[in-house]
Amino acid sequence: MSNETTTSNTTFKIHPAIGIARLGNSDEFYLTPEQPGALPIACDADGVEQQDKNGQPVRVSSFKESGDLSKVKRQAARFRIFAYDGDDQKTGEEIKIGGKYHFVVTSATTAPTPVEGTVKDIQWTVHLANKKSTWYDFMETDGMHGYSASHPLRNPTVTQPDLRRQMITDPGPQTVTLKSPRAAFSKGENPGYPQTFPPEDIKPNPIDTLGELMANKQGDNPRLVVLGGRGNSGSTKTPVITSFVNNDGWYDDISDGPVTAKIAYTYPFTYTNSDGKKVTETKNGVMEVQVPAWVVVGYPRYVPQMLDMITLDEAMYDVFVRNFQYAPRIFGVAPYDRASNTPKTEEETALWLNDAGFNPDYYPKFYEEIWPILRRPDLYQYTYDFDFFSGGDPHNTGTGGNLDQRALSTPPSGGQDPYRQNREYVIRIMREPLQTNLYFNTGKSKINPDHKPRLMPMLCGNNPISNTSPDKFLIMTRTQLFFLRQWAVGKFVNECSEWDESDPNCTNPWSEPPTTGEGIDRGVLSNLLGGAFCPGGEFSWIIINPGIYSAPYRIKHTTYQAGALSLPKPIADIDGSPAPNIAAGMEPGDLTKYIGIPWQADFHECTTQNIDVTYDNWNSIYLSSTGDPAEQQIAYDIPWWPAHRPIIIQTEQGQQVFWASGIPDNYAGDLEMVQQWNNLGFLIEPVDPASGLPAFYQIERNNAALGPPTASGQRTLGRSKRSTRYDR
Amino acid sequence: MAKTTSKSKQPAGRYSEVKSILNSIQGKTVPDYQGLKAFWLDYETFLSAVLYGQRMIAPGPHDDSADTAESEDGSGSCCGSKSEQNQSAGCWPSGGGRDDNGGGRDTSRSEQSGLIKGLRGLAPFDGSVFPPLLWDAKRSATDSEISTIASWIDDGCPQDDVDDDEVSSEKETLRLQASKLVALAAGEMKHSVAEKPTNTMQRSVKGLRVRKEIGSMSEQEVQRLREAIACMQTYNAHWQDERSFDYWARIHASSCQHGWEQFLPWHRLYLYFFEQMLQDFDSQITLPYWAWSDYADVNRDTFNTEKLDQGILPERYGCWMTSEGVANLAATGLLTDKQLSGLEKLAKSRQVYNSSARFLKAAGVDYMVELDPTTGGAQWTPPIAAIYAELLRINPLWFPNRWPGVIGSPTSYPTAEDINLLLETPNWAEFGGGPLDDHHFGYLEQVHNGMHNFSGGTNPNYPGRGDGKWTDLYNKLGIAQDPQNKDNPPYGWMVDNRITAFDPIFWAHHSNVDRIWAQWQSTHPNGNPQALDGVLAPWSLTVADALSTRTLGYEYMRNSYHYPTSSQVGMQNFNSEKAGVSQQTLDVFRKAEVRLHRVQRANLPNASIRIYLNDSSADANTKMQGNDNFVGEIQTFHGTCMGGPGHCDMPLDKTRQFDQRMLHHNEPRNYRIDATDAVNRMLAEGAQDISVHLVAVGLDGQPVDNALYLDGVSLNFMD
Repeated sequence: MSNETTTSNTTFKIHPAIGIARLGNSDEFYLTPEQPGALPIACDADGVEQQDKNGQPVRVSSFKESGDLSKVKRQAARFRIFAYDGDDQKTGEEIKIGGKYHFVVTSATTAPTPVEGTVKDIQWTVHLANKKSTWYDFMETDGMHGYSASHPLRNPTVTQPDLRRQMITDPGPQTVTLKSPRAAFSKGENPGYPQTFPPEDIKPNPIDTLGELMANKQGDNPRLVVLGGRGNSGSTKTPVITSFVNNDGWYDDISDGPVTAKIAYTYPFTYTNSDGKKVTETKNGVMEVQVPAWVVVGYPRYVPQMLDMITLDEAMYDVFVRNFQYAPRIFGVAPYDRASNTPKTEEETALWLNDAGFNPDYYPKFYEEIWPILRRPDLYQYTYDFDFFSGGDPHNTGTGGNLDQRALSTPPSGGQDPYRQNREYVIRIMREPLQTNLYFNTGKSKINPDHKPRLMPMLCGNNPISNTSPDKFLIMTRTQLFFLRQWAVGKFVNECSEWDESDPNCTNPWSEPPTTGEGIDRGVLSNLLGGAFCPGGEFSWIIINPGIYSAPYRIKHTTYQAGALSLPKPIADIDGSPAPNIAAGMEPGDLTKYIGIPWQADFHECTTQNIDVTYDNWNSIYLSSTGDPAEQQIAYDIPWWPAHRPIIIQTEQGQQVFWASGIPDNYAGDLEMVQQWNNLGFLIEPVDPASGLPAFYQIERNNAALGPPTASGQRTLGRSKRSTRYDR
Repeated sequence: MAKTTSKSKQPAGRYSEVKSILNSIQGKTVPDYQGLKAFWLDYETFLSAVLYGQRMIAPGPHDDSADTAESEDGSGSCCGSKSEQNQSAGCWPSGGGRDDNGGGRDTSRSEQSGLIKGLRGLAPFDGSVFPPLLWDAKRSATDSEISTIASWIDDGCPQDDVDDDEVSSEKETLRLQASKLVALAAGEMKHSVAEKPTNTMQRSVKGLRVRKEIGSMSEQEVQRLREAIACMQTYNAHWQDERSFDYWARIHASSCQHGWEQFLPWHRLYLYFFEQMLQDFDSQITLPYWAWSDYADVNRDTFNTEKLDQGILPERYGCWMTSEGVANLAATGLLTDKQLSGLEKLAKSRQVYNSSARFLKAAGVDYMVELDPTTGGAQWTPPIAAIYAELLRINPLWFPNRWPGVIGSPTSYPTAEDINLLLETPNWAEFGGGPLDDHHFGYLEQVHNGMHNFSGGTNPNYPGRGDGKWTDLYNKLGIAQDPQNKDNPPYGWMVDNRITAFDPIFWAHHSNVDRIWAQWQSTHPNGNPQALDGVLAPWSLTVADALSTRTLGYEYMRNSYHYPTSSQVGMQNFNSEKAGVSQQTLDVFRKAEVRLHRVQRANLPNASIRIYLNDSSADANTKMQGNDNFVGEIQTFHGTCMGGPGHCDMPLDKTRQFDQRMLHHNEPRNYRIDATDAVNRMLAEGAQDISVHLVAVGLDGQPVDNALYLDGVSLNFMD
């Protein structure tokens, strides 16, 4: 290995780029699923994945401790390191302990020297924090493009910077290795670090930890497991909830932060000693993994197998496709190849952003890029009752249905295109970007001009609540709409009838666990909520701001001082400490600080919304005027995100019941949720589709705590609790 | 060309080999392939197959970049229709855009083919849009299989049976059939006339391109021209795109020279550059010419200042209906059943009309205009516009605003006699026009002026004409009478030098002007304009640069009949079948010429080659003097060649740019012999057609079979 430098440019990356842990009040835990809609993965007490005899992961289908329906198991985020050689950033391999890789040794006395080293251990470092209480009030889309100087802060009476800094939950960073495999983000566990935790007397539930870390090995592959908080939320005052999203005095144990790693390795070092003899010694080296990751802690995924209308992977993919040249074949400048879509400077990037567009010759793949969009609405009948009055199934995917799978999957063939009308029907009712405030599609039907189909998705948008910067209904991503438009005109491929015919799983491209780093990145994120962001599920709209990324899926890390995480600018300016700077990168707690506090309030309320649809061009009217002569038009009961927050579900016996029955629909219910989230049931699909069970049915609801579920017939219309915006 | 080294397991042929390779890769399961299934099994399907927008076999080349005559295919049959070029470039052939490899102009046809990209796993078959081909296959293709298929594509996708569209394969056939060759060289078999386009044959013997009379062109030759013009019309919205037809038409408006000595040279260059553009589309295209005097008798007879549009133009510039056209028009829903049945009748008769007005009348469709609200002038009603669009689709050489007929007086129409007189004009100034400081029209230009007026003609459907109906209509609809109106002008566009070149017949008209000048030049070699250094804007060439059609790469012929020969066997006695000379050619030709193409010379004995017409029994004993069939005799003068090994071989084709050296000592040479008198004698004796016969004799007068090796013999007619 003396002079060989050619292969020294190995890049190490942590995958997934963004990991997701989920809260639980049990000590038990399982691992995050890495495929869309897959059940979580069973693991042992050290976080090592359990595998069946085929080497496939064992799936978890019980989410509570056995015998205790009040104990929700935690979901652990798992990380691994891949090595990529040379320019190939796609097909790396997961590294092994004992494996040999190319490292670069630098010391004070030698030039960077490439060596072949043997991996001995990994030093994983994670730093979780919660900055929600110190951040700005969430006011729907206000702030999405920067906060005005007058934007209210949460806990506005605390303006002294050090006092406010105390409101950050910051246990400090923790490091684990195979030799020292465990650490906790808990009070007192970080000697020498100026930890800050919420006051001990917050009620109802005090917070003394944000989670744990474990280093382990899966075979020879070194891995990291990150566990989040216990679902504790509490207030310094008499606990009441007065807002779905901003509640002063409150803390919760959601968190996020950077995941970094150093690879410890040994390498042979040969030199000539004073006797003129060649001596080879084994030396130790440490190398920082060049591409680090991020971890976020979210609330439990009560319907793990049901995907949101827009997954976070899809929302982020759209951002990267349109801003980061992630898929030039789909979006870029002609001829849509990599070479023509690699801007190297800021100017080139600006030009690229000006010039790039969707490739009119791109042929989306039906089961990978089209069918997920069309299939999901049909599943939401198991978490919501769409057509309360007619009881019909507007999203039927069977023969003759609006979303007839066979018809919609058949491309023009042999010069014939018998299903074009079916596709055109679908594209006509898809909500286009400029229709965000429109409930109905008017005047688009050639056949029947009086026909007013509701635009799809009929789900809430980023701001259905206020009439300032409204964004009332959800719109599929630009990339998804592009796929649909191509599909509508017949430019698509049915991979099952072309190249995957012999594959029985061809209708689900994600049926096997991912093997590439990119596949893991995307698979993990596919189970997170990708919209609407009001404020959102695991993340708010900050996650679709291209400015926070250094590369596709990679959160930009910034440097920060121990015990001095940043505060909002108006406060930071008081003592001259650094304010958050998106251009510089993110620090612990910077991604989750945008969402509601405590999380249980927003979660409980995110069922349905009554949306004011009187005008579609809201900003042009005088909101403060009274006596506006127009009659208010309301779109009633528009769901938020039925896959993330079930509303009406089915029991094992097929009875329709309110999922959260036992918890009232009001602020008192929000407070109740703080104590009851762990007693709610989970929804799963039957293992055997022929079992006669509902396609999704509830398990593990703790009726002892919540009482028996209420049947959905008792439902009342017209609830619009959130229509008063930000009542303080 | 012959891949004799191919390790083919399928002696049946190369296409069969390609099929069996693809079958073996695919295995038993064949996916849908968008309804095409195993698209490679049927030849026609294979060549036109488009899989999810990807053309499996790219259309063939139309430009000169192919480096051998063989690759110039005569018909484009293997290359698909020109209208199916890839979408990004439209119908115009291009060297392709940038691709993943940064490759540019030099991508071969196979590299542009979706099948080859797919088998190689190149974009978009790199998984970014589609997986590599074949799909759901038993295995992937090996490199050698891919290169076998690629070279089959690059060689023009030959079918297994001999592709008689290829000059090369014709030669190949000749080469294979040695006995036939010997029989041909001995005069025992007759050579036949090639069916290839004249320019293909000219190219195969490294001759100039030929501009032929429009009526002499083969259907295939005309069709190529039509496709080129139609393609150019598709770019008209891009007004600075030099592929746009209108771009060229506008040059006349802005730069044309008339009324002085630059008239002829300027238009010669105008035609040259336009023709270069056409040759970018298809290197075999040359502009046709319209021999006015062919139509003199009929046009003098039909002259009529009442019925304005009775004039006759070459049929190929006319309009006619087809049943497909009727179906297209029916689909527009703009026409009544009665109108459609009138059009259907015309589609059955296929009658050709020179005037749009006469066409509509025959179809029973009333020509009608309406008020164009934006200009206040007239515009065609939607049914008329639809019919015209369909007629243009059927024949892009036609032009709606063309009502040929009146030209002041019937005697203004030039007869052959008039042209002869013109050609006898003794000096340049009278013939071609005066110089800048003493400018005046030349005779030729004056004749040309009249033909502009004749071919454009007078619009019979304009206010003030006929029974006053149009005056009333204009008044009623409030339409302004506008001499520059686009749809309904008072005169045909050929009449107005601002817009004349928008009418496709302009180019044939001026080609005839240019031909007559070239003809005159051949008998007045010193008859040049005064200012030879005058620049002919917008080009940077001068008058001197425009003097020779040869340096511009073309010559004029009424018609040309080419007999390919094999240079593999020494020709002793060349016999040919009758050339099939058209009656029109025999009626009007001014000169007939026999040409011997690419006669080899190195270390060949000198010989005498005697040329006869219409006598297949001619041999060394056939008399020359007093024999009406005898054309003349050529003596070769070679001498011996000495030098290092290979010195006396045939030279390589001139492949390099910038090679300014003189003719290579062993470059095969060409001979021409005037056969005008001999042809006339044959015709006087009642012959209807002409065949050519050569006899090679040594200096001793005895037959020789080792002195004459040549690539072809042609019989050419100039008018």
